[in-house]
Amino acid sequence: MCWCVGLGLTAVLVCGQSSSPSHYTKDQKRLNIDSFEKVWTTIRDKHWEKNPGGLDWQAIHSEFRPKIEAAASMESARGVMREMLARLKETHFAILPASVYGEADADSAGDGSPGIDLRVLDGLAVVTRVDPESSAEKAGVKTGWVIDSVNGKELAPVIRKLKSDPEIHELILERAVLSRLTGPVGDALKVVFRDGANRSRAMDLSLDPPRGAIAKFGNLPPMHVWIESKKIGNSGYFAFNMFLDPERVGARFEDAVSSCLKCDGFIIDLRGNPGGIGPMAMGMAGWFIDKPDVRLGDMFMRSVTLHFAVNPRLDVYTGPLAVLVDGSSASTSEILAAGLKDLGRARIFGERTAAAALPSLIEKLPNGDGFQYAIANYISEGGKPLEGIGVTPDVEVAPTRQALLAGHDPALDAALEWIGKQRTHQ
Amino acid sequence: MNRIVISRKWAALALAPLLFSAGAILRADDALPKAETILDRYIEVTGGAAAYKKHKTEIRTGTMEFAAQGLKGSITIYSAEPDKSYAVTEIEGIGKFEQGTVDGVAWEKNALTGARVKSGTEKAQAMREGTFNGVLNWRKMYTKAETVGVETINGEPCYKVVMTPNEGKPETGYYSRKTGLELKAEVVVDSPQGELTAEVFSSEYKTFDGVLTPSKIVQQAAGQEFVITVQSVKMNEEIPPGRFDLPADVKALVGKPATKPVDK
Repeated sequence: MCWCVGLGLTAVLVCGQSSSPSHYTKDQKRLNIDSFEKVWTTIRDKHWEKNPGGLDWQAIHSEFRPKIEAAASMESARGVMREMLARLKETHFAILPASVYGEADADSAGDGSPGIDLRVLDGLAVVTRVDPESSAEKAGVKTGWVIDSVNGKELAPVIRKLKSDPEIHELILERAVLSRLTGPVGDALKVVFRDGANRSRAMDLSLDPPRGAIAKFGNLPPMHVWIESKKIGNSGYFAFNMFLDPERVGARFEDAVSSCLKCDGFIIDLRGNPGGIGPMAMGMAGWFIDKPDVRLGDMFMRSVTLHFAVNPRLDVYTGPLAVLVDGSSASTSEILAAGLKDLGRARIFGERTAAAALPSLIEKLPNGDGFQYAIANYISEGGKPLEGIGVTPDVEVAPTRQALLAGHDPALDAALEWIGKQRTHQ
Repeated sequence: MNRIVISRKWAALALAPLLFSAGAILRADDALPKAETILDRYIEVTGGAAAYKKHKTEIRTGTMEFAAQGLKGSITIYSAEPDKSYAVTEIEGIGKFEQGTVDGVAWEKNALTGARVKSGTEKAQAMREGTFNGVLNWRKMYTKAETVGVETINGEPCYKVVMTPNEGKPETGYYSRKTGLELKAEVVVDSPQGELTAEVFSSEYKTFDGVLTPSKIVQQAAGQEFVITVQSVKMNEEIPPGRFDLPADVKALVGKPATKPVDK
């Protein structure tokens, strides 16, 4: 069957390859027209609805074919295809510029990071995590600080502009802002922060190699996958940034759960995790569900329905399970969180998820770009689709700048408090 | 995913036909030959029962590619009398997929979903595939085989043979009227993820140690396609000690309740 790559939404943001009209060759034009036809035909044949998105797909072809023929650059050709895909009003349909495949390589320019993660809170870019040993940590950056500008460019106008577009959801917004903090490894950024006392603090932060190890998966651009596994008190905690590199992530997850079978609780942190290889959700769920014949949900393709069946492991953790999510938890993250919630196996903490959970594939187009397309609708075990709805936490708790400045993580704190109460009840 | 059909074609190289020599000619208006005739002919044209029976073990290697998705990997299948099999597929970016049959246990293990012991129709399917030289013993594994028509596969008229296994959904093979070789199979792959109908196209038959074997296998299912290219087939090679042993985590699962395939 297919490999359900739920990822997406992220690579699209890597800047596109530009080419001026004067460099737009006849060959490129022909390849773009071929690519257009491939995109249109694939959706006609593989979308789970015979009328994709309820549209007259033949009429869509008639409308856009002249536009692709008239396109005068790679970028405008890409724009035509993206405009066509946007008509579907569904996630996981994207054109990934050929350049993203090179830019995401470990040694190539562009993916160095000062070791900061952020959220947009009340229109401000707020530091939510500072990686250990990173240049940001060494410089003294703290969670809760506001990032006002990067290399002289203020972030507030960028955030305002992105937030004004209803098509830009939180995951894309935050990735877009975070991309301002990346660049060639070894370079430095001049970042102006606002600290806890609202004092402006300018810092030169060097860009370190990205956290984690590079993972490749088919036509997906290479990406860095990091894992954080630890004990908090007597609870297990496992976070990772993508559902990729299943051998490494799976082995670490097994270690984390197996070494915590007697723990008071276990926490899976899916905040900021945009998804990845769908079946990994089934494998992870199997560490917490000891009954056979249980599923997280169903994937509906045009010709077949496939189940996200849970495979119970030999030694299953049966204690309190908390899953942390936020608006940047998408796709496979949503499949796992929703399934565990629907099965009554986990309590979900945080914020509503991205509502972008269509199983998809990525193929190369004749022009070298990647084409991501959804192949199925997904209905969680509770009977609801995740696309457009997402996962609503059992306990809705959002980070605040004040909490971050005080060294708190409200969603994690709430999960730990709940685990503590379960222990008391037992 | 790929596992069942791959092994159907590789480990068991199952079904098929014919005792008529390759020179036998069937006119279009001939009555359809019996399925057992077609299947016996297949055995004959691929080397004959005697050639098959010379083999007690087998090691196959090859590559596999999901070209559209940019995924590549390698595959190795070990098999031995009477029903021992072990297949390992390694796909870049995903990792290792293992599956096997031994002593009445069918299992799989991979980085995505972990270790699992198969049951029900899925187990029955795996055990059929794991039967060494299963092609010679199809009568023991199928209750019925019937020729239902003639269809053209890749421009070649083929007899369509529907075989009903002792347990599980019918499987369909398409055997060239001209050569007797199987050119296509349709199999319902059963697993906890559901039922998936796979079409398997076999071509570029080559002789390995006296037996004609397809060296190119194309499988299509759920709108996706992958290609297996056979690199080597070694008969009567020594199988590494313990190769068919159940992995420890699989062994620990034997006898415990497991998620069953979805029977419809």
